Amino acid sequence: MFKKILLATTGSTASFGAARVAFDMAKRYGSEVTVFHVLGVPTKAYSQIVNDVRTGEEVEVDEDYRSWVEEEIRTTYAKQLEGLDNVRIILTTGVPSREILREARSIDADLIVMGASSGNSANYYRGYPGSTFQKVAKAAGCPILTVHRESASYWGGFSKILFGTDFSKQSLSAFLFALKTARELDCELTIFHALDISGKVLDQNEIEENLIAVRERIRSTYSPLMGDFKNYDIEVWEGAPYVEIVKLAREKQVDLVVLAHHTRELDPEKARIGSTVEQVIVRANCPVVSVSKPEKV
Amino acid sequence: MPEGKICNKQPINTVEQLQLTLADKSGIKYYEEMEHLDVDTDKLWASIQKTMKSRTKTWLEICAHCGLCAESCFLYQVNGKVPTQVPSYKIQSTLGEMVKRKGKVDNAFMRHAMEVAWSQCTCCNRCGMYCPHGIDVGVMFSYLRGLLYSQGFVPWELKIGSGMHRIYRAQMDVTQEDWVETCEWMAEETEEEWPGLEIPVDKKDADIMYTCNAREPKHYPEDIAEAAILFHVAGENWTVPSEGWEQTSLSMFAGDWECCKDNVQNVYNAIERLNPKRCIGTECGHAHRATVIEGPYWVGREDGLPPRPYIHYVEWLAEALRTGKLKIDPAKRIKEPVTLQDSCNYVRNHGLKMITREIIEYIVEPGYFVEMSPNREHNYCCGGGGGFNGIGKFRPQRNVALRKKMEQIIDTGAKLVIAPCHNCWDAIRDLEEEYHIGIRWSFLKPLIISMLEVPEHLKPKEEE
Repeated sequence: MFKKILLATTGSTASFGAARVAFDMAKRYGSEVTVFHVLGVPTKAYSQIVNDVRTGEEVEVDEDYRSWVEEEIRTTYAKQLEGLDNVRIILTTGVPSREILREARSIDADLIVMGASSGNSANYYRGYPGSTFQKVAKAAGCPILTVHRESASYWGGFSKILFGTDFSKQSLSAFLFALKTARELDCELTIFHALDISGKVLDQNEIEENLIAVRERIRSTYSPLMGDFKNYDIEVWEGAPYVEIVKLAREKQVDLVVLAHHTRELDPEKARIGSTVEQVIVRANCPVVSVSKPEKV
Repeated sequence: MPEGKICNKQPINTVEQLQLTLADKSGIKYYEEMEHLDVDTDKLWASIQKTMKSRTKTWLEICAHCGLCAESCFLYQVNGKVPTQVPSYKIQSTLGEMVKRKGKVDNAFMRHAMEVAWSQCTCCNRCGMYCPHGIDVGVMFSYLRGLLYSQGFVPWELKIGSGMHRIYRAQMDVTQEDWVETCEWMAEETEEEWPGLEIPVDKKDADIMYTCNAREPKHYPEDIAEAAILFHVAGENWTVPSEGWEQTSLSMFAGDWECCKDNVQNVYNAIERLNPKRCIGTECGHAHRATVIEGPYWVGREDGLPPRPYIHYVEWLAEALRTGKLKIDPAKRIKEPVTLQDSCNYVRNHGLKMITREIIEYIVEPGYFVEMSPNREHNYCCGGGGGFNGIGKFRPQRNVALRKKMEQIIDTGAKLVIAPCHNCWDAIRDLEEEYHIGIRWSFLKPLIISMLEVPEHLKPKEEE
């Protein structure tokens, strides 16, 4: 199911976690990896000038520069590239989110792996899902896996998956992806919903009734889709969804979180406050897959 | 050396030549070759005699050198008001001199003329309004650019740009397949949020044929999706042509007259083929000038009009808002100081100064719109017009040129600049990159979409 992985990278430390997961997956599952790097947006009319990702300086995109950047990428990932023969490095110019989507579509990628941010913005933004992630997550036809911080738990591959649902249409796509992954990789799957009670005054009985109702809803929604798959459990907690997802992931030592992405807000300044996916990416210590469309699941 | 391998009098007509020219980093070899390029003086003089019409002759002769055009030129203003930046001086010392010497000019003169033509004039035509005789230096510089181009003295990027137009019939290497594919892609990407949305290609007898700027499929395809959303919400019966979709003309700014004609003919052929009731071009200034204002004359249309009514995007938008095809949710109107960039190419060149302000009335909460000063037909060029934005060799001069717009914007106090022109949009983005004044800039399409009142039946059906 991960035949074609598109690793979108800036080559900066912010994308190292994502790269590591992508290469590990490729080794484990025999995937084809496209290492994709956008050199920058060419300036106006027909000029070939872009701002270098690292130095921010204006450079002219020519054969020398391209081969230099390619060499940098090879050096950066030298260790991980060892023993991988199905890797292509593609460099292009343009708006990063747009070019990632274009490439994913043209190679018919099964999974896009990318850092949450380019890592070159101000310190307090570090790791925050940036505008590129937002735009790719909104429009991509395939799931997007992102890693905010590297941790040891997933270095041995995936064994426990946490799927968080809000019962939306996109959540169904995310569920199908989680189920398929769990089946194929023989993982334990936890289906989770956090009952958002913030701002509400509820007594304990009401909360518990609601929890039972949600549990029932999960069963009726997802159980019929699982067939003979038995290796799953259902959890329903109350609290702020992103906090509870992160807590549960830690408690269960989950190594993959699967969520639906359906914020329409493309302005990262606004979107980052509201979306559960982004909050989880920032806080989880395992990779997070965001799914919004059913095409590739 | 009569002609160089890269820098020569031949237009780029083949992919090989295009790649050879592109491979020359920053045009270093190109400009080296240019230093040794021979001027075919006989051909130059013959060309002047054949193409210089009475208007230009008269203008050159009656110019009194009074200097009243000086202050009208933003390049004069931002370059320390040196005499060499006075419009009348700029044209008299180049085209004027060339005519006076009956084309007997040398390589150094031509290279100097090239520098003046592409780095000291953006063909914004503002000087023409202030000349007591009505002499338009911008028009004359366009003419001079053509003479320079025919002799091989043209900036590297514009030689490439016009080559792109010749080969791909687009200012960038977007092929017909790329274009159609992009339309399909954008429809796919958008239809979920906008059920029923289509980007119909080559539909005959539609009400509207939409044309755009090659930068859109190349780098900003969401612009096409946004146009599709607005046509969809407005309930328009529209189409895009598979061939003849590219409306821009870098060849106009390169001075490649032959190519200008070919481009616009290509668009007009699409009109004849698809027979739409009318055409709408995207938010671009020079594309409108090339296809709608000057284009009809290039292809020799006697009525001076395109084959069908051909309007600029702002005209359609204003109409859609006026007639209620598009409705704005008053709560979502812009409630921060906002200003508007008037694009020379459709404001000064086509009088569309009020139509954008009509749109502003719909989308900006009263009291928040701040005019730049001066504005409308008196507005200054964005600083990167006429091809200036794209020329690496003249980048430092371009960056100085941006200062006028920067001052104008700072004076408004607005942090948001509406720029319904690709080139202005680019220039304003560049000025923010260069000078960090803390502004945002936008086309009209995304702004309008963000504040639309969407009819229930067009909304996606949510399960929850």
